[in-house]
Amino acid sequence: MYAVRTLRSQPLRLALTVGGIALCIVLMLFLLAVYRGVADGSVEYIRQNRADLWVLQDNATNILRGSSLIRPEQILAISRAPGVRTAAPVLFLLSTIRRGDRVGTIFLTGFDPGAGLGGPPALAWGRGPRADDEIVLDRSFAMKFGFKAGEEVDLQGRRLKLVGISRGTNAFVIQYAFVTLRFARDLIGVPGLATCVMVNAEPGAEIGPIREEICDVLAGLQAYDQATFLANNVHEMRSGFLPLLYTVAAIGSVVLTAILSLLLSVNILERRKDFAILKTLGAPSGFLWGLVVKQAALIASVSCAAALALFFPLVRLIERVSPEVTAKSTPGQVAGVAAAVLLMSLASSLAAVRRLRRIYVLEAFS
Amino acid sequence: MNGPGSSAPLVRLEGVTKVFNGSGHSTTAVRDVSLEARRGEMVLLMGPSGSGKTTLLTLIAGLARPTSGRVSLFGRGIERFSTRELQAFRAERIGFIFQAFLLIEALTAAENVGIVLRFGRTRRSERAARAGALLGELGVGHLADRFPAGLSQGEKQRVAVARALANGAELLIADEPTGSLETRQAVGIIALLHEQARKRGAAVIVASHDLRLRDFADRIVTLRDGAIA
Repeated sequence: MYAVRTLRSQPLRLALTVGGIALCIVLMLFLLAVYRGVADGSVEYIRQNRADLWVLQDNATNILRGSSLIRPEQILAISRAPGVRTAAPVLFLLSTIRRGDRVGTIFLTGFDPGAGLGGPPALAWGRGPRADDEIVLDRSFAMKFGFKAGEEVDLQGRRLKLVGISRGTNAFVIQYAFVTLRFARDLIGVPGLATCVMVNAEPGAEIGPIREEICDVLAGLQAYDQATFLANNVHEMRSGFLPLLYTVAAIGSVVLTAILSLLLSVNILERRKDFAILKTLGAPSGFLWGLVVKQAALIASVSCAAALALFFPLVRLIERVSPEVTAKSTPGQVAGVAAAVLLMSLASSLAAVRRLRRIYVLEAFS
Repeated sequence: MNGPGSSAPLVRLEGVTKVFNGSGHSTTAVRDVSLEARRGEMVLLMGPSGSGKTTLLTLIAGLARPTSGRVSLFGRGIERFSTRELQAFRAERIGFIFQAFLLIEALTAAENVGIVLRFGRTRRSERAARAGALLGELGVGHLADRFPAGLSQGEKQRVAVARALANGAELLIADEPTGSLETRQAVGIIALLHEQARKRGAAVIVASHDLRLRDFADRIVTLRDGAIA
């Protein structure tokens, strides 16, 4: 009771502390959720477009941050390689869409609708592009620019009809859009070009020999199986995002620990007479430490609850204001953050507990 | 119960001196003091402010170590006690009463008593009942759920006495226990201490400059400038 009552005796201080810590927790939860959203949005395209092999120009390992150009004759050679059933070329371009005065950059994906590979990983509404004057936009991009079903989209001066809205295609810094391969090639004025070729093998054919044929016989190409290619893209996404995530999370952790440690220390100093009395009366050290640890755990728990109450409405608000932000939370993330906060509260209490050693029993007699 | 002075001393001080070293100078708070206290006995340490009464109490309770001389508690020199043993001794065998009561403001009267029972390893299920019974015995049972802020000075001191007695202390140490009380309350509380000490066979050592306490003391030790006058 002592731990609870002494905290409650300063309600404003307690509220400010809980508020500060809750905001740190919200920050951590938000970063993790954004990371998850970016992770999914960046690689969902690859995850859902299951190809036995992804063929790119040599030295390009991913589609997020790599440059790959495959010539028409190479595409033809891939499609004729032994054991290849389907070879679906895809062309990725950075392009712009204009709506009124606003211009947005998109990751334009040109694919062959007849090949059954390379299209949107999931549709929130509508269908994929079938004709050269049709386009599918990422949901957050469409929301941000206010595009509605059936509207015309101005893509570099070309008028396209919006026939679908895709999900899992928001990579935070950029969003996917889908058009036919023919339209994409026409846009850059280089016929027959592709960024990568998705290959599916004949039923029963082994992937290894196909891969060897593509890499060894066709010069200048590299082929990755689905798992390796997915891992390459995940690694690329993480290398760009995780340092930022870690830095901000570390700052949040330090601030949280400092706030809590400060409150606990102030509490100890204000109640040093109590602690001196308790020491005089024979309180074991563990009991006194326990009081501080209990206070830390209590504040951490209340802050976690407050953070959760704030987090979900806040995410909905942010997604409404900035549709390009896609935050995805999982129970695992929440549990992980809660465990981390409890550990940080323990660290804070250990820092504060050192003050107990400087309280002397004789102070009870002064 | 044992009558006063009928057993081996619970506390024995032999030529005890305590020097505090400050920045560049030292102060001798207690000088070559020898005394004993036995079960059922009330020893009154008298003297003006600054005469070393409180320092002597802290030495007796093992809260401070003497600079020279020897302090024995329950037949054993305190230099042979570890810090943990001294803490356990204070929790289980020594009761403290302070001048300003020093109840924990965030705890109720019953909890103030109960917390000492906890230090004395009384089972959780027994603490509330024992605290309530003790408060009742001292005439403040009806105030068990009140916080110290809602108690009068006399009531606070009774709760403080209950706290001191909670673990069946064999040695009661009181620092100016009547300093904050009016005469009627002061006499009442010291009579209570005296009665409880006799009843439980505990030794009581009281530091005070309150002359009203002299009638209750079995022995009076007067200190002046840290030495027995």
